[in-house]
Amino acid sequence: MSIPLRLSALALALAVLFLAGVGVGSSFIPPERVIAALFGAGERTDGIIVWNLRLPRVLLAILAGVALALAGALLQRATRNPLASPSVLGVVDGAAVGVLVFLFAFSDSANLLQVSVLWQPAFAAAGAGVFALAVAGLVWRDRGDPMRLILYGVALAALANAAVVLMLIVGPVYRSSQALIWLAGSVHQAEWRDVAIVSAAVAPALPLLALMARPLDQMRLDPLSAFATGLRVELTRAAALLLSVYLAAAAVSVAGGIGFVGLIAPHAARLLLGTAAGAQMLGAALLGGAIVSGADLLVRAAFQPLEVPTGAVTALIGAPYFLFLLTRVGRTHA
Amino acid sequence: MPDSALSLSSAAIGYDRKLVFEDLSLDIPPGQVTALCGPNGCGKSTALKAMRRVLPLSRGEASLLDRPLSEWPARELARELAMLSQTPEAPGEMSVEELVALGRYAHRPPLSGRRATDRAAVTAAMSAVDVSDLAARPIGALSGGQLQRVWLAMVIAQESPVVLLDEPTNHLDIAHALETLSLVRHLSRAMGKTVVVVLHDLNLAARFADRLVFFRAGQIVSQGAVGEVFREEIISEVFGIDCEVRAEGPEGRPFFLPHHRAVRQAAE
Repeated sequence: MSIPLRLSALALALAVLFLAGVGVGSSFIPPERVIAALFGAGERTDGIIVWNLRLPRVLLAILAGVALALAGALLQRATRNPLASPSVLGVVDGAAVGVLVFLFAFSDSANLLQVSVLWQPAFAAAGAGVFALAVAGLVWRDRGDPMRLILYGVALAALANAAVVLMLIVGPVYRSSQALIWLAGSVHQAEWRDVAIVSAAVAPALPLLALMARPLDQMRLDPLSAFATGLRVELTRAAALLLSVYLAAAAVSVAGGIGFVGLIAPHAARLLLGTAAGAQMLGAALLGGAIVSGADLLVRAAFQPLEVPTGAVTALIGAPYFLFLLTRVGRTHA
Repeated sequence: MPDSALSLSSAAIGYDRKLVFEDLSLDIPPGQVTALCGPNGCGKSTALKAMRRVLPLSRGEASLLDRPLSEWPARELARELAMLSQTPEAPGEMSVEELVALGRYAHRPPLSGRRATDRAAVTAAMSAVDVSDLAARPIGALSGGQLQRVWLAMVIAQESPVVLLDEPTNHLDIAHALETLSLVRHLSRAMGKTVVVVLHDLNLAARFADRLVFFRAGQIVSQGAVGEVFREEIISEVFGIDCEVRAEGPEGRPFFLPHHRAVRQAAE
């Protein structure tokens, strides 16, 4: 199967998941009625359910998946390490620390925020950035040894996690429960505002990604060889890392700690589509959207009426995948 | 054409705070194959990296075509100056053609697709090193000798007049080493390129290079045409071994036979 054909198949799968995601829930709406409602036709109740309840949730899941997958793909290219991903390197947990600090600092006893919720992504990005910088600083001294990068990341993620647990325990109960739902990664309370925040954050990153496709292609070479072909390696690496932290923070700040999508999606895209940046990153974005919306769909279909966090499902699939990759690391480069 | 394609003058070069060269001046004549030789740690790879601007100079100046190396924009420099590092790496699932095409980075406008000139350069580079029939093969499935030819093809696709090679025969058996160095000489003779190559094997250097530069402990001990500097006393001084040089080796080039000091003393 050619690469454009494979990409089309992924896009089709995402479209099917989208329709299913909008249709499945406490009341099932068949696909033809979903499509009718999307175009403003059909029954009025369908329209309300689709537009007000289901669509924000499905779109947020897809957007979060796209952003996390792209963040992972960027990270894997910048570090030349197939094990790198926002959750493994402490970026997701770092963002969680940022969000908790935000929730605890700016909400009153009635559980209401005293400042605009739009600051939440900024705090998430700051937390993610601090932990990403810490990992980068540590690995700098080892000249980018790939295994150490992962170890530092895991250690710092554990530290961030400890900070999160501590804040939850010593913090007031009403804030803790609010934080817990967010932390586990969930899109079930999605509103249009959340969709707007994430899409506003992701949209400006897309033209940047298109501009970076060629330099990122060149990053397949070791740094010295890439430099000799004319690439400004340090600049490319820094830009990719920044963009990665930004995208991960944008997704996590609204959708919560949805782990391992940034690991699985780019890796599977590389298996399916090869190493060329354009196709692989496009594929990773489609897969990321499919994984998160698929996980959300699974949660709704299997555990109704319980609301199980989406992040729990992605971690349940992702963590074993990570272990599998760990056992074969080092065999991927010639 | 200037007298030297590439030159270092009074250069201090090193890693972190440890200098390998205090004061290095070296001119690379255009159109020839210059081999850098010397014992481990003498600084030959360091000098090569300074010439490709991988290592910045602490003092002194490096220039390419009489323009300071530091003034060249990255892509423009890459169109003039290519380098094959000692241990190049790329994902094993990449195809040969994909890898060779990476050599075109400095030529392609940022957002354009692969143009006809790029395709032609890639095709020509693959046929120059005789890997055209491997074009679709993943590089992870190649033998060491084939892989080294593919990396050379990537460098050739860069179409730079000056090419720097860091121990291209490392890890190759003698047959593949000969084949690789024949290609290196071909770069100079048939394509008119200036080649600087770091080589460990002195007999291969004497056979394939036009000029030799001998380094020892951050100093140039001797440099010149192979016939002038490939001499017993120079090699003895550089490597600290006794040896004899025979004038008539293969292709009319000199070659040398090492005598371990202890062996000769025992024989006496």
